[in-house]
Amino acid sequence: MNSLLPILLLVPLVSLLVGFSFSNKNEKAIYRTSIISILVNFVTIISLTSYWITHDFEYIIFKGPTLYHSSEIDFSLNLFIDGYSLAYIFVATLLTGAIIVFSKNYIHREKGYKRFFNNLKFFYLGLMLVLLADNLEILFVGWEVLGVTSFFLIGFYRERYLPVKNALKVVSLYRVADIALLLGIWITHHYFGHSISFSNFEGLQNTESHVLNDAFYHFMIPSVFLIAAMVKSAQFPFSSWLPRAMEGPTTSSAIFYGSLSVHIGVFLLIRTAPFWENNLWFHFLIGGIGLITCVLATLTSRVQSSIKTQIAYSSIAQIGFMFIEVALGLYWFAIIHFTCNALFRSYQLLVSPSVLSYRIHEQLFHFIPPAAQKTEGLWNRIKLSIYVLSIKEFNLDIFMFRYLWSPLKTIGNSFKFVKSRTLIYSMAPLFILGLYTVYNQDILSLFMLKHLPEIFAGLGLMLILKSFVERDSSMVSWILIVVNQLFLSLAFGFNEEFDFNQIHIFLSGILVAGILGIWILNRLKIRGEDISLNQFHGHSYEYPRLAFLFIICCLAIAGFPITPTFIGEDLMLGHIHENQFPLLILVVLNLILDGLVIFRIYSRLFLGEHKKGYHEFAYRSS
Amino acid sequence: MMVIFHPTILIHVLMKTVNLQFNEEKTIEHLVHHLPSQLTLKDFVHHNSLHNFQDKEFFEGIFSASKIFGIQVTFNLNEYRKLHRQGRIRTDIINQVITNKKGVSHLEAFKQKMLEHPYKHTYNPRIGKLRANWKKQYKIDLENLVQPLLFRIIGSYLDQGIAIWHFPFEEKGLINALKILEQKSLTSFFKTKKAKRLLLSDDLSIEKLLKILVGNESYYENYLFDQQFSHKGWSGLVSAIEGTPETLFYRKKVHLKDFILLELLLEYDALEKTLGNHWEPLATDYPIEAEDYFAPIEFGEMEEVLQLWQEAFEWDYYDEVLAGVAKLAESKRHIQNVETSFQAIFCVDDRECSLRRHLEYIDPMCETLGAPGFYGAAIYFQPYKAQFYEKNCPVALTPKHLIKEIEISKKRDHEVIHSKNSHTFFKGFLYSMSLGLWAGFRLFRDLFNPKMQPDIADAFSHMDVKGKLLIENQDPNHIENGLQVGYTIEEMVDIVSSLLKGIGLVDKYAPIVYVVAHGSSSANNPHHGAHDCGACSGRPGAINARVFAYMANHLKVRAILAKKGLIIPEHTQFLPAMHDTSSDEVGYYDQEILSSENARHHQLHIDTFENALGLNAKERARRFASIDISKDIKHIRNEIKKRSVSYFEPRPELGHGTNALCHVGSREKIKGLFLDRRAFLQSYDYRSDPNGDVLLQVLSPLPNVCGGINLEYYFSRMDNEKMGAGTKLPHNVMGLIGVANSSDGDLRPGLPLQMIENHDPVRLLMMVEHTPEIVLKTIKSSQAMYDWFDKKWLHLVAISPEDGKLYYFCDGKFERYNPLLKITTTSDILGVIETAGEMKSNHILDATKENISVQIYSDKI
Repeated sequence: MNSLLPILLLVPLVSLLVGFSFSNKNEKAIYRTSIISILVNFVTIISLTSYWITHDFEYIIFKGPTLYHSSEIDFSLNLFIDGYSLAYIFVATLLTGAIIVFSKNYIHREKGYKRFFNNLKFFYLGLMLVLLADNLEILFVGWEVLGVTSFFLIGFYRERYLPVKNALKVVSLYRVADIALLLGIWITHHYFGHSISFSNFEGLQNTESHVLNDAFYHFMIPSVFLIAAMVKSAQFPFSSWLPRAMEGPTTSSAIFYGSLSVHIGVFLLIRTAPFWENNLWFHFLIGGIGLITCVLATLTSRVQSSIKTQIAYSSIAQIGFMFIEVALGLYWFAIIHFTCNALFRSYQLLVSPSVLSYRIHEQLFHFIPPAAQKTEGLWNRIKLSIYVLSIKEFNLDIFMFRYLWSPLKTIGNSFKFVKSRTLIYSMAPLFILGLYTVYNQDILSLFMLKHLPEIFAGLGLMLILKSFVERDSSMVSWILIVVNQLFLSLAFGFNEEFDFNQIHIFLSGILVAGILGIWILNRLKIRGEDISLNQFHGHSYEYPRLAFLFIICCLAIAGFPITPTFIGEDLMLGHIHENQFPLLILVVLNLILDGLVIFRIYSRLFLGEHKKGYHEFAYRSS
Repeated sequence: MMVIFHPTILIHVLMKTVNLQFNEEKTIEHLVHHLPSQLTLKDFVHHNSLHNFQDKEFFEGIFSASKIFGIQVTFNLNEYRKLHRQGRIRTDIINQVITNKKGVSHLEAFKQKMLEHPYKHTYNPRIGKLRANWKKQYKIDLENLVQPLLFRIIGSYLDQGIAIWHFPFEEKGLINALKILEQKSLTSFFKTKKAKRLLLSDDLSIEKLLKILVGNESYYENYLFDQQFSHKGWSGLVSAIEGTPETLFYRKKVHLKDFILLELLLEYDALEKTLGNHWEPLATDYPIEAEDYFAPIEFGEMEEVLQLWQEAFEWDYYDEVLAGVAKLAESKRHIQNVETSFQAIFCVDDRECSLRRHLEYIDPMCETLGAPGFYGAAIYFQPYKAQFYEKNCPVALTPKHLIKEIEISKKRDHEVIHSKNSHTFFKGFLYSMSLGLWAGFRLFRDLFNPKMQPDIADAFSHMDVKGKLLIENQDPNHIENGLQVGYTIEEMVDIVSSLLKGIGLVDKYAPIVYVVAHGSSSANNPHHGAHDCGACSGRPGAINARVFAYMANHLKVRAILAKKGLIIPEHTQFLPAMHDTSSDEVGYYDQEILSSENARHHQLHIDTFENALGLNAKERARRFASIDISKDIKHIRNEIKKRSVSYFEPRPELGHGTNALCHVGSREKIKGLFLDRRAFLQSYDYRSDPNGDVLLQVLSPLPNVCGGINLEYYFSRMDNEKMGAGTKLPHNVMGLIGVANSSDGDLRPGLPLQMIENHDPVRLLMMVEHTPEIVLKTIKSSQAMYDWFDKKWLHLVAISPEDGKLYYFCDGKFERYNPLLKITTTSDILGVIETAGEMKSNHILDATKENISVQIYSDKI
């Protein structure tokens, strides 16, 4: 029976690849390939469920091929199913199927018909990876797929400003969750000395000796997973992205942000429960976050005048409740709550346009003017204050901007005195020197060897900060990123016992993508197009193919799991020692920022308003 | 020296000097004139989206709008050229258009320009230029900093019933409510104390804020235009509500002035917060002199060429239509010797064009007529126990009468999915836990077996099908809120006689005269009002049909009518009905009034109607990809009905898409002409109106109703993003008053993509059956009506009954028009419909191919 597990992944994958081959006008074929894959999966799940029930609810485990193997790391395609994931998969497949049928007519004749279905299938594939993953590596791959498909579906209407802006906003927040998860992989590798397997995992009992004391791990490991879960499930203080993600067609909002994508944090918490179950503080922490979210989201939802935003916030409040349930150890209850809430909110979103005629009609007969608000007394003043705060969403929307991106921008701007171009030129000899020393490490003193990784990572971070604040040329920004990646690999090169194969895996992806990216930018430039970064250009209107190629390059550079770069990234992170905190922080910042910069370059060049004036395009505000 | 007296320059100079001094009231008036005037979606009424340029000649107006606001008003050259290459614009039409406009001597030169000459498109709208300097000078994105909160505040303030917690103090006006909030609350909408202090200052005024923000008085008006047109959706709605407060059930006191004040304050706040002390008023050292945004524009050759192309695009179709009309005009009018089986009065609506054709096809003895669908009854309607009135008449009229529903047969159902309680915390939990699985089940039921639900806009639920109405006024003093309840006999006589005379139904009455209103059912469609009857302010018209039939059946009314010479035979009965244009069903009202003999007839006619509806459904279904029209009619009707109740169907029907024509004359004369549901049909009999007195009365509502629909479709199609609402799929309902795309987005007035995608944007061609002299005299008697035609917002052709020739109205006079095309005939019109092609995409190049060419069908006529 366990051989059925990979089918759940292979079917949507094949369907996705086949989906690419149709033309946008061939709606029937696009629809049929999509629905067939979901049907096959559905049948598979039914068989798996009956097997699972008849076999004493035991895990169904599939040992897959090993993608990479070394003494510490075992990156295998291992899958497993337990009750929780089975329930989630069941709901996910059912809803995806329903949404596909719904969208068949709903998306009819839309410019991005094919794009929509491909994204939906890609999303479903990512979700399956997360739900079926037996180890963190596979889970991470799925997690990244969810993030990227979110970017595409939020920015589905890529010729308008707001969808693109919000897609960028959401994806930059998701990046934080991604890196948190990546850190989770790093820290568990160090703690256990090997990749962990969810299916056969007992928690934080460990016999290996560590450089740092156990308390650190017991705090760090659950923390990073909690952060990842909070971001994806829009918990306090990361709530405000959810309503802003409702930019795509109503069907995609319903399935992503009404249900499947936004509840995944709850699943992650349940999946990683062994890490924190024995730590009472974490029960309080998770419950506390859930509680705060409940309160704030409920209040915000009460004052919303737009229906999708209101549904988004009431859904967030329910997810906050699920966090509390998880903190209380009521996992099954949380899963049932998820099932009901996911179906309910999806449905509410799908029929949300009906609210206008329905409630107006209600009002015609049953309107009661609300009682006048009083102004005297402390309680009334507090009520008014809460009203104002709720309208402003408790300032959560500017929170990320103010406390994360703004400071980084300020730091980046402090390198103003160096010209970006000068920087690139001066880095070249430095890099060659570095490269030489990597291969001839014996010429350096021990002290130098110890600190060189940090120096190179620091240089890399400087490059990326520079790229982050670059406003003029996308070419310069792009090259800065590529060069940064080279420096990053140098930094690892100095870490002892380094396997050069790994760096080669890493670089193979980076270099190909980097050079292809330069070629694309150059091509645009030769055609006389504006490739500056100070505004959106919407070049995908005239160059859809280049846009597609370029996004592939971007994903490769960002370490998205479609090129070897990803494995390299994961592996190299493993080479940062537990006590190399400065290096770790430098690298983490680097990874967060490079994702941001890369998505920004893509968005500014290929998305947004295409202002050539010979065709219609929307106002910025619409 | 001559130059100074050139009129345009003179105006230019004058306007500049006027502009130097800021006059708040005038500027606001000016803004209101230019902002979109669409009301809340529940009151969706079609109107010319560029009404603000209607004082100009059509092309001058639209190209001015284009240069000032940056909207697309025609296709681009490439598209026209491709349309020519694929045969949609014929060469002989191009030649004719150039010859008419530019003279034969320029034919080759302009042809070269149209077909080959390269032109460079530029996009440089006047509005928005000044305010863009914030970003240029200070690298600050004011719109991002201000708009989300601004929209949230105004959205919450105007909200009709989405939020659970309402905006407090809304009865005091926006700025006053904010003042109380800011004084009493411990928190603030503003990020700086300075902005809050400004709000609370006693001398708060637009001018004061503009002085701080802009500095130089001569730029004030431009700044406000830039600002308000950066979100014309919300600004337009605010000014529309200010002008028509009754468009909100839950009344809110709102002024555009307050909205501008709030925005200026938020801008000041954002500047202070972001830039601190490092900023100066925007126009402190502004190098360019204040520009008059609305100064006359000099058009280049490209506009000339685009105009020729658009005219050629239109005339290619008109020529085909006129060829058909001319051919039939020459033929002898049918004289009916046989008795008419029944008569049916329909709305002029273009969607009834096909149903009438099919009725006549199935029962050649019936007669169909057309009149604006409010049937002369300009009323407010109050459903049973409703707290508010609904207007059921053309938007330009102000009703003096109220029709009350006094009894109903069934209660309205509720829909728990839309309950506000589901958004509170504990109840939300209970709702999702108890209804979650059920919602999942419903989702599948809706997908595979869609049915009418309480939250689906149902044309037949607007008024209870069996409900009782109070139509006859019992006592002239029975007045509610200034409206007379019901009509007096004398008023009824006037309405009945003027309508019947207008459509020429003054003799040869059949036993039953159906008065068929129309409405439209659709699911998940905030724009459902746009599918209902345009002559009833975007509502189903059944109520008006019932009121009219009641009047026409009234014995006292008939007695007075008879005295005046309008004799309606005793056995003739008027029966109200309504056609659901989306589900293709007809419902009948008050059937119990029929005499037993008429009831028997009626049973037979129901079959006729059902058969005609079947054919109608089939004809409509040819444009729906989801329906296979080769299947049997029963299947097709079932599918059509399903569409009207499917949440997943953004095109329950295609509304007025493709509308292009309006025929005012006798139906007999154009029977057998296949117009592909593109014509508004108004009945009118020139024989009973030699002086054109009735004609004036018949014509006068048409430019506004039909022209409004036509031009709204025109502009929404030409620029679906800026003049239309864009695609419906991401729409988010805001405050039950409009739709936006995003949680932080502007409202989107206009028509959504799904309604206009099959529309060929051509101006309405109005064809009136009367002599050119009388038609000219008639339109000249009203300046407003004359301007519609003289300024070319509508085309006008007179079909002269004297010589059977066509006369086109141009430059103040009628001239002979000889169609170039020879009209095609067919013997199997149903076959033509069945085999028509389907568009591959909604781009105009594909979309226009879906239309069936005009033809004369010979069978059964």
